[in-house]
Amino acid sequence: MTEGTEAVLELRGVEKSYPGTPPIRALAGIDLDISAGELVAIVGPSGSGKSTMLNMMGALDRPTRGNVLVQGRDLSTLSDRRVSGLRGRRIGFVFQHFHLIDGIGNIENVATGQLYQGVSRRHRRTEAIEMLERVGLGHRLQNRPNQLSGGERQRVAIARALLGDPAIVLADEPTGNLDSKTSDEIVELLRVLNQQGSTIVVITHDRDLAASLPRTVSLLDGKVEHDSAHQDGAQTVLASS
Amino acid sequence: MRRGRDELSFLRLADVMRVGGLGLRARKVRTLLTALGIAIGIAAMVAVLGITASEDAQVQAELNALGPNLLEVLEGESITGAEIVFPVESADMIERIGPVEMAAQISTVDATVRRTEFIPAAQTGGIAVMATDLDVLDAVNGEVAQGMFLDEHSAEIPSVVLGSVAAERLGVRSLDSTPIVYLTDTYFQVIGVLEPVQLAPGFDRTAFIGAPIAETLFDAELEPQTIYVDVVEGWIDDVRTIIGHTIRPEAPDEVTVTRPSDAIEAREVTSESFRSLLLGLGAVALLVGGVGIANVMVISVLERQSEIGVRRALGATRRHIRLQFVVEAAMLSLLGGIAGVGLGAAITAGYAEREDSVVSVPLEALGLGVAAALIIGGLAGLYPAARAARLDPAEAVRPG
Ligand SMILES: Nc1ncnc2c1ncn2[C@@H]1O[C@H](COP(=O)(O)OP(=O)(O)OP(=O)(O)O)[C@@H](O)[C@H]1O
Ligand SMILES: [Mg+2]
Repeated sequence: MTEGTEAVLELRGVEKSYPGTPPIRALAGIDLDISAGELVAIVGPSGSGKSTMLNMMGALDRPTRGNVLVQGRDLSTLSDRRVSGLRGRRIGFVFQHFHLIDGIGNIENVATGQLYQGVSRRHRRTEAIEMLERVGLGHRLQNRPNQLSGGERQRVAIARALLGDPAIVLADEPTGNLDSKTSDEIVELLRVLNQQGSTIVVITHDRDLAASLPRTVSLLDGKVEHDSAHQDGAQTVLASS
Repeated sequence: MRRGRDELSFLRLADVMRVGGLGLRARKVRTLLTALGIAIGIAAMVAVLGITASEDAQVQAELNALGPNLLEVLEGESITGAEIVFPVESADMIERIGPVEMAAQISTVDATVRRTEFIPAAQTGGIAVMATDLDVLDAVNGEVAQGMFLDEHSAEIPSVVLGSVAAERLGVRSLDSTPIVYLTDTYFQVIGVLEPVQLAPGFDRTAFIGAPIAETLFDAELEPQTIYVDVVEGWIDDVRTIIGHTIRPEAPDEVTVTRPSDAIEAREVTSESFRSLLLGLGAVALLVGGVGIANVMVISVLERQSEIGVRRALGATRRHIRLQFVVEAAMLSLLGGIAGVGLGAAITAGYAEREDSVVSVPLEALGLGVAAALIIGGLAGLYPAARAARLDPAEAVRPG
């Protein structure tokens, strides 16, 4: 890597096979670097391995072969407790189905983002309120997720992912369950958060949306078919540093 | 070093409790119904223990009223097979033992008792004739139903006092008509009838006459058949061991000393098996309650896969997930336990009220009930919690 661009995430020859006859080869050797401050779109047809790759990036799953490094730490060398700690502190997740917890309010849902880091409840809640205000839900603090619209729910989930300032936010089709107007708003939010310094990787089926983002990686059959960072524009960025 | 710790996941104790209680608050009806199973089991057990304790307290109160400090001295087994004969002045000897308040003896008289001389001598109706010390009734805490007990004067003339059953058998219902009964060859006037004597049931089938008249009319030897000893509170065991040495120093083992109140206490043991049965039923109810919790927890884990996946994504370790569900199950059961203990105590109080007896809910039963619920819940939660912890987080958050 060129000096100056800090690699947040590195995939080195990552392969993933699921058991079956024959084994399902979801990832067939992926090399990918993501630097601090990037906003990357992942595209590709259904079944091309996008979610699988995102799970590897977020240490939700371990590769069959190859290495994943988060801020220089090789995940394959870490225990469950350390990997969990790393997930909690350095990685934020946003899911297509929001995956908010029923039965607790918005503030508590967002605060859960720091629950497993031993942060005191009062401190968590203070930060959660700030974060909800940042994603434009300052007027929805006292509600529960099931009282919100889909777009609002996804904002709560994004606030939760951002709590504790993770090194990278991974979003798997965050607009997949939203109408186009709401989708645009969520994408705009991600863009703003990126400008404020967050590193974000987002899976999308929307080619137009992907094209509007600074970098697009497209997968096909578990391989990187195309990476816009390896075109001229990206290379000039690298060369200039 | 510090940096290394910063990398780990960490869940505060207060948060363990908070997270554990979350699932219960989110599904209130289910929580209540599941806790009910445990509550019934615990209530049954606490009620059985409570009612048992209340009954014991009742028996104890009765015994205290009757006289728990009475000893009964009888002849024991002779090693040689020879007849055991206590000295005539046994009661006086025993009375000289320090902590003895009173000792009184009765002696068998070789006489029969009948209604009239026209009834054959063989038909005694199982009534014994005894020559008695005058204070024996005080010693055994007995009461006179009608008339009076023997005194110094009536002990010298043909007067008789009848036990309750003896009076009935001899057809003596009232003393108004100055009834008489026939002892071997002499008519005696009935001057008193006793109430049933709890601590000396033999009294009920006995006709008591004075020692002087027994000697005069029936040549009685007046060797004591039974000696009743009232002991100062707290000295029972000491006195018990000394009596044999006092009246039969050559063979103290041939003297049997019993405590009549023990026999009454022992009668309670017969209901012990019934209690065990009820306790067993309570235990089965608890077990069923525990299985119910395990069942509900397994369902809950299935329903909450996405929550589990999200928690793992947010940094929860497998241990944190396991802890969450074990604590949830334990809290669920504890809820039932607390309700059950309250219910059990209420049942006990209600029972005691109805039976007009002493309320005594043992604190240990309450503590035990709560502890049992906690343990059962924890155990019931182990398997579902292990399943939750084993869930693959990538699988758990996958859409669809
Ligand atoms: N747990 C699993 N067990 C077996 N096969 C799996 C599993 N997860 C994913 N796969 C397979 O791996 C391949 C890649 O799946 P993945 O979910 O990564 O695709 P995707 O690009 O995210 O698709 P989509 O756009 O539909 O979400 C698919 O063929 C899928 O069937
Ligand atoms: Mg996918």
